[in-house]
Amino acid sequence: MDGGDREIPNVPARPDEAQVPKVGVDSWVATHEGRVHRNRLVAELERVPRPAFYLAFGVAAALLPALTSNDYIIRVGFDTLLYMLLALGLNIVVGYAGLLDLGYVAFYGFGAYGYAMLASPKFGIHWDTLAIIPVVVVATALLGFIVALPSRRLVGDYLAIITLFFGQLFVTVYQNGNRISILGQTRGYDMTGGPNGIPGVDNWNLGGLKIASLQGYFYAALIVFLLCLGVVYLVDQSRTGRAWKSLREDPLAAELMGMPVNRLKLVAFAFGAAIAGLTGTLFAALNTAVFSADFDVPTLIIVYAMLILGGAGSLGGVILGAIVVNVSLEVLRTPGHATWIFYVVVLGTLIARLRPWRWLAIVLGGTIGLGFVAHAIAAAAWPRGTHGSASIGGWAGSFLDHWQLHPANPNFIGNIAFVILVFVILGVTLLRGWVRHLALIPTLYLASFAWENRLVIEPSVTRLILIGVILIVLMNARPQGLLGTSRVEIV
Amino acid sequence: MIRRVSLLALVGTVAALAVVASAVARPAHVASAQAASALSCKSGVSIGMLAPITGDAASIGGDQLHWAEFYFNQWNKVKGHVKIHLVQGDTQLDPSKASTVAQSFASNGKIVGVIGPAGSDEVQAVAPILRKAGLAFASGSATRVSLTNGAWKGYFFRDVPNDGVQGPTAANYMFTNLGVKSGTSVMVVDDQESYSTGLADIVGQNLTGKGVHVDRESISQKDTDFSSLVAKVTSATKVVYLPFQLASQAQLFAQQLQAQGKTAVAFGSDGTFDSSKFTVNGSYISFFAPDVTTLPADAKVVASFHKAFPGATSPFGAPNYVLAQMYSNAVTTACKDGKITRAELRKDFAKVSLKSSILGTPIRFTANGDLAAAKFHIFKIVNGKYQTVQ
Amino acid sequence: MNWNLFVTELVSGITHGSVYSLIALGYSMVYGILKLLNFAHGDIYMVGAYIGLGIVTVLGGPFALTVNVALLLFLMFLCSMLGGGLLGVMIERFAYRRLRNAPRIAPLITALGVSFFLENAAQLVLGAQQQSYNSFSWTNTPIALSHFTLPSGAVVSYASVIVVVGAVVLMVALTLFVQRTQTGKAMRATSFDREAAAMMGIDVDRVIVVTFFIGSALAGAAGVFNCISYQQVFPTMGFQAGLFAFTAAVVGGIGNLPGSVLGGLLIGLAEAFSIGYISSTFEQAIVFAILIAVMLVRPSGILGRAAVQKV
Repeated sequence: MDGGDREIPNVPARPDEAQVPKVGVDSWVATHEGRVHRNRLVAELERVPRPAFYLAFGVAAALLPALTSNDYIIRVGFDTLLYMLLALGLNIVVGYAGLLDLGYVAFYGFGAYGYAMLASPKFGIHWDTLAIIPVVVVATALLGFIVALPSRRLVGDYLAIITLFFGQLFVTVYQNGNRISILGQTRGYDMTGGPNGIPGVDNWNLGGLKIASLQGYFYAALIVFLLCLGVVYLVDQSRTGRAWKSLREDPLAAELMGMPVNRLKLVAFAFGAAIAGLTGTLFAALNTAVFSADFDVPTLIIVYAMLILGGAGSLGGVILGAIVVNVSLEVLRTPGHATWIFYVVVLGTLIARLRPWRWLAIVLGGTIGLGFVAHAIAAAAWPRGTHGSASIGGWAGSFLDHWQLHPANPNFIGNIAFVILVFVILGVTLLRGWVRHLALIPTLYLASFAWENRLVIEPSVTRLILIGVILIVLMNARPQGLLGTSRVEIV
Repeated sequence: MIRRVSLLALVGTVAALAVVASAVARPAHVASAQAASALSCKSGVSIGMLAPITGDAASIGGDQLHWAEFYFNQWNKVKGHVKIHLVQGDTQLDPSKASTVAQSFASNGKIVGVIGPAGSDEVQAVAPILRKAGLAFASGSATRVSLTNGAWKGYFFRDVPNDGVQGPTAANYMFTNLGVKSGTSVMVVDDQESYSTGLADIVGQNLTGKGVHVDRESISQKDTDFSSLVAKVTSATKVVYLPFQLASQAQLFAQQLQAQGKTAVAFGSDGTFDSSKFTVNGSYISFFAPDVTTLPADAKVVASFHKAFPGATSPFGAPNYVLAQMYSNAVTTACKDGKITRAELRKDFAKVSLKSSILGTPIRFTANGDLAAAKFHIFKIVNGKYQTVQ
Repeated sequence: MNWNLFVTELVSGITHGSVYSLIALGYSMVYGILKLLNFAHGDIYMVGAYIGLGIVTVLGGPFALTVNVALLLFLMFLCSMLGGGLLGVMIERFAYRRLRNAPRIAPLITALGVSFFLENAAQLVLGAQQQSYNSFSWTNTPIALSHFTLPSGAVVSYASVIVVVGAVVLMVALTLFVQRTQTGKAMRATSFDREAAAMMGIDVDRVIVVTFFIGSALAGAAGVFNCISYQQVFPTMGFQAGLFAFTAAVVGGIGNLPGSVLGGLLIGLAEAFSIGYISSTFEQAIVFAILIAVMLVRPSGILGRAAVQKV
């Protein structure tokens, strides 16, 4: 059959669907979404074959360097593509095979270091990239295979911990790899450059075709990503893909059905590792240097966040999650952009979720009124409370100047406002009904105050706070991720 | 059928992209419009700052940022000064993130100069990008010797002396004044970062060359307990050299040395020079300037800094105040004709010479971008205060 | 045989291991009931340490204490345990409760979000600089600097003694609570089979809240213990500690309380002895290699029972 894997059956909803208690936690509940009556647009979109979407993405991405000459945007695009590749590889291990791999970035680092060792002045070797890539990919896949060997005896979180150990082992060994000495000898061997890394890595040289510009690397990354995406899609549709999914859903049942469970786990690990190794070569080539700090737990956390946010098990989710997280992280660096995004998101959420309309009007009107009143009181009674200026310019900035308080020394009071704000927001989520709507008014004003006077002054710290909040809120609202499908896990 | 067609289309697009990419990837690709056209000084200029504002080195980077912000805030309050806006870029001490942020600075037409980055690895990562964009970049803490070997002359500057001055000074002092002789032993502990291992290597090799037995150990920047390592210090160890980036770790190490009754003396490098954190009596530190927080001439500045940014400070902070000051002077010179370009600022910056600074010494750059007349002082901690002994 | 070195490493390993064990206990308890890896647990440890620092500052600061040191210690522990416990309960209520029945990876990412939030909010409000407990300066009864010497020549500081004794007291109290009280029995039942426990009339929500409270209180206490000995408080201190505690909990057999204690001690001792006898540079690598070996020999952890898979 063409179209997607799922068919939406034409089962009419029960008239009392909303009142029927959910019967336990099981497959009936899990397939609830399949029975929900969807509007036609969404239903039609779901019949479009996935590769069409990936194609559309590929074309859109390819147009990016043509549309902008801003190298920063292209660099962010390149970084996003690398993250997409990593999330793609992790998707095979976590999303398809259901194995928790906490040492995944070690494969990334292994690939990057491997490329660096074979194409830099470090050991004087300068191989052609067409020769390096197969070597690195195969070596990383072998490494993934070896790391997965204990998975035969270990389940779930025990496997996770072994992979975590392996990841930390990798970082420690490579960080100190410039003084590896056999016990007793005083001279160390310099294998990995230690904390100074391996500098001077060559650019990609595909048999004469040198890639040296940012645009070139962007296209290279895009092509590599699309190729890997195609391969993973094909594997997903194949027997191995289906076997992985059955392994993920219930390993015991899969084994009883005759799936070679151990072999599947090993292959999943190896496949994911191979993709990570390939990504590492791109990373090393563009950055012209590798350091072990890049392949530690913080990077792992970001890749996981992207994958799960987008929806584990969904290829489209990989693309979306990487774009959402990385672009947010970059855009939120600039205070001006961050302020706009903050206010737009807050207003947007209010408009989308606050019903009926009169309450929206009351809340917005009340907040604006409260602001002007507070500003007037402060201007009269506490002149230092209005000395500072808003974080953005233009008409919005002058509105904020007159609406919000900006004390001259905002540090201390901003901190207090922020802490109070956190508790107030948590409290408001506990309220219900009209009390909650009314409580929103001072909350919104306080939020704006904390933003203007403390959060936006330290944009680098605030963006991480915001990412944390986004993760919490999104995972609570949609635990299966943006494009994922809800599953029930049998624990 | 539709699936097969769409798959074929996917493959076809990839092939087409490959053709396009091979055309685009030629190195002779024309650089996009980054050649700075002259910017008018009337509405103010922007200086970018690369620092590890979050992450494990946040205590250093946040402090560097605050000192620079503090200077520019004071500068902007004076009428007649060209307004300078500081754009911060968080690198998390990671060279690959540093190059992404540097790229954003390069593409931002309003930015005419850069302060930072903080780490020597980061400097090597961002140098090609910033050089291509014509931006000057000056670091207040990158001390690797090879950074000023001339490759980035006119682009890279630093107002702190490099390891090539600090290492031998420390080693010589140990040899002449601390009883370290041929046959005695010294323990050198690094924190596995490149600043630390660089200094540790220089000092270690220097002492080994003089016949001293050097015991190389390591800790990690995340460690807070060194009692296991301190237990290895023997009675023959005269000095424990601690080229740490974090003064708090040096304090802990020295405290645990004393707690375990060891006679070895702790000797820290310029990263540990922080009188609010490292105060164990009898320890030594090498630093290139007197303690900013104790100089009477700086008392007012330090007091208003602490009012604006409460909390402790780190030794790598004040050099960024000085860099901000130098940039302000350079901007004033370059803006005399009402316009400024990146090239102009670079040239004027290289020529700035401060007769006095909060670091207590005059500041100017050598031809290669190093700090001129750099000299290291040795301090001893007596009654919790830093006393100059050399 | 250098007894001095051996005993010093032993003491250091036990002290450090006790702190890891306390944090690992919290991990284990929450995992046992919810099968949730609470990555924000290390940040509760960090908040507990800051609360202790706040108490010291409020009571006059390390150089001019206005109260007896014993009272100071008591207040520090009380407040950090209460604060940590309440924080844990709040996190459970607002971040994890809705995800009880979601695939396990969703609360994992939520926990990461909470961790990001806590670490960076602490940096925003409290500053990124390391601050010190300065327990060397507490007057009337010197803490960290004061020591007694063992026959082998090794020096043991009072702070280490406080840490180990305190950790033992807390662990014994926890064991008694879990084994002898009604709520403890309910906790054990819920961790065995949540649905059956609910059917037996146990208020699962309340049990989970109590579990989080106790586990987080232990983490808060661990924060104060750590800083009495090792002085430094900074916003990212929870990350490393959380990682090691998670390791300890799994190596000991996750869900198993004595196992977590054993795992924590194992890691502390492995660290101390590899620094002392092998190499401080590769100490982390050696510890991880040892742990991998342990896991390969005993796949469910040292004291873990092989999970019976119900078909």
